[in-house]
Amino acid sequence: MSMLRGFLTLVLCFMLGEALRLVFLIPVSSGVLGMILMTITLMLKGSVSDDLATASQGLISVLVLLIMPGVVGVFFSADQFSGQWLAVAGALLVGTFLSVLTTLLLMASLVKAGQRRASDD
Amino acid sequence: MTDLLERFLALPNTLSASPILAIGLTLGAFFAGNWLFRRMGRPLWLPPVVLSAFLLSATIALLSLDYTRYQQGAQWLMLLLGPATVALGIPLYQQMHHVRALWRPILCTLPIAASLAAVYAVVIAWALGATPLVLASLAPKSVTAPIAIGITEQLGGSVPLMMGGLLVTGVVATLFVDLLSRALSITDDRILGFALGLNGHAVGTARAFEISRTAGAFASLGMGLTGVFTALILPLAFRLW
Repeated sequence: MSMLRGFLTLVLCFMLGEALRLVFLIPVSSGVLGMILMTITLMLKGSVSDDLATASQGLISVLVLLIMPGVVGVFFSADQFSGQWLAVAGALLVGTFLSVLTTLLLMASLVKAGQRRASDD
Repeated sequence: MTDLLERFLALPNTLSASPILAIGLTLGAFFAGNWLFRRMGRPLWLPPVVLSAFLLSATIALLSLDYTRYQQGAQWLMLLLGPATVALGIPLYQQMHHVRALWRPILCTLPIAASLAAVYAVVIAWALGATPLVLASLAPKSVTAPIAIGITEQLGGSVPLMMGGLLVTGVVATLFVDLLSRALSITDDRILGFALGLNGHAVGTARAFEISRTAGAFASLGMGLTGVFTALILPLAFRLW
C-alpha cells in the first residue's frame, strides 16, 4: 500500500510537469519538469516521506527494465545509419575522452584553488 | 495434424497481438541478463543492460517476431519511464547537501563540462559528416537514460541510436576516468565520483560506488545535475542553432 501511495505522488508530479509543458510550451520533457518540481518541493519541505522513498527506490531499481525496449531498437534499426558509423564512433570515443579530461582538470584545479583560498583566510 | 503444427508455428505472431508477450520477454531477458552479469563476475565493460538487450534481440530474431509489434507492446513498460524520471528527484535531493561542501568547484564545472560533453560529440560527428538526425541522437550521450529519452524526443533524434551511444559513452567514460585520473594523479574521491557521474551517467555511478560511498554520492549528484542542466539547455540550444 505504501508503495502505491508513493507512486501516486510520482504520477501526480509527472502530470503537473506535463500540464506545465503543454500550457507554457516548454521544450523540456514532462518527466524532467516533474523531477525538478519534486526536488524543489523536497528541498523546501526538508524531508522525504517513507511512502515516496519506497516508491522511488522501487522504480529506480527497475529502470534498466524500462529502457531495454529502447536499447533493443539499435539492433533493428542499424542499417538506417550505414555510412555514419565512423562519425558515431569518433564522437563517442574522442568526445568522451575530451569531456572526461575537461571535467577532471577543471574540478581538480578549482578544488585546489578553493583549498588555497581557505588556507589564506 | 498439419493444422495443429501450423497453429503452433504461428503462435509467436498470434501471441504478440497482445502486449503481454512483449512484457514477458522483456522481463525474462532482464532477469537472464542480470544472472549472466553475476556469473561473469560483474564486468565493468559489459553492463547488465547490454547483456539483457543482446538476449532480448536474439529472442525476438529467433522467434521471427515483428519488431514494430514488439515495440508497440513494450510501450506499456515505457509508460512508467515518466514517473521513474520524477523518482530520480528523490536521490538528487538526498545528495544535494554535498553541493554545500564543494559548491564553487561543482557550480563552475557543471555548466562548462556538461555543455562540452554535448558540444565535443556534436562537433566531431558533424566534422565527420553525420546527418542532423545522428547529431540530435548523439547530443544527450552523457545524460542518464530516462532523461535522455525525453531530450531526444524534444530534439527529434533517434531513440535507439541515442541508447546505443549512451551505453558506449557510459562504458568508455568509466575507462577514461580510471586512466586519466591515474595519469594526472588525481586521487580525491569527490572529483573522481563527480567526473564519473557527469560523463558516464548510471554506468559511471555504478563504478563510483565501487570506489567508495563518497565517490558514489558525488557521482549521483553529478549525474542528476547533468541530466537537469542538459534537459533545460539542449533543446533551446538546438532551436537557436
